[in-house]
Amino acid sequence: MRNLLEIVEATAEREGAEKIDVIHLRIGVMAGINFNSLEFAFEILSKGTRAEGGRLEHDTVDIRGKCSECASEFHPEDLVFRCPECGSGRVDIIAGREMEVDYILLDEEGS
Amino acid sequence: MMHQINVGEDLRDRNREIAAENREMLRSRGVFSLNIMSAPGAGKTSLLVRSIPLLRDKFRIAVIEGDLQTTRDAERVAALGIDVRQIQTGGVCHLDAAMVHSALHQLDLDSLDILLIENVGNLVCPAEFDLGVDARVMLLSITEGDDKPKKYPLMFSESRLLILNKIDLLGMVDFDIEKARKEATDINPGIEILELSCRTGEGVEAWTGWIERLLSESGA
Repeated sequence: MRNLLEIVEATAEREGAEKIDVIHLRIGVMAGINFNSLEFAFEILSKGTRAEGGRLEHDTVDIRGKCSECASEFHPEDLVFRCPECGSGRVDIIAGREMEVDYILLDEEGS
Repeated sequence: MMHQINVGEDLRDRNREIAAENREMLRSRGVFSLNIMSAPGAGKTSLLVRSIPLLRDKFRIAVIEGDLQTTRDAERVAALGIDVRQIQTGGVCHLDAAMVHSALHQLDLDSLDILLIENVGNLVCPAEFDLGVDARVMLLSITEGDDKPKKYPLMFSESRLLILNKIDLLGMVDFDIEKARKEATDINPGIEILELSCRTGEGVEAWTGWIERLLSESGA
């Protein structure tokens, strides 16, 4: 949460904005983040920052694996990280672990 | 009028940077390091207490203990006469790279071969934070249930080794070891799995052997 606030504060400062209205996140389903808990922490910790009173939003990113052997991409059904094409177990998780600030919305007034 | 600024920054970027510094610090001094993770009570400290006596004659070992509040785990390990650094996270449910970084500065890395880091007991958050170690190890005790891999996939996905602990209780609890193995290897086909009991000592030598094998492979 501290990182989240540091990132958005630094961005708003660079843009010369006093207030952040919306923070839009991308959260992977495998990232182990409970959005409600995040919102709760945000409400408390954003007090006194440019993000105070702002809204936290998010998109959920589904899991995708990519086979290191044959390069095919797939959705690991029932969390089985084995390539459905060639059967290889050497699979990289290319999506589903996101925990990132996608964009923020700033009020033009004062910028 | 709203004004959109694209950011595209991962919340873990800062942690990754510090983890990379830790990795460089440890590698350049020839220290092999492990991050040991599990739910509370799975036996992380017991594993250390069981295995350090088997390793200490050959290797110089130090331990970093992550704990929410107490120094209990650190005291158990310090009783073995090895260097222990305690990180009290003050309620934070995981260790992060910055916490470990401070502890690394307190250790004499030049006179170390192996650094064992015991994470805070938790099956979720520790998996998200790279500490800059050579490998992550997780313990699952059979009293926790054989359905845990798919409930906490990230932990299993990130670990190089899964230790199934408390196997002396097999038969007393409904734990299907083949089911747990299958769930873990579904998530991470490359994961290695050891079965042991810290209580009886069964399987502990296979674990210390695993450490020695990885240490020699790492060239540390």
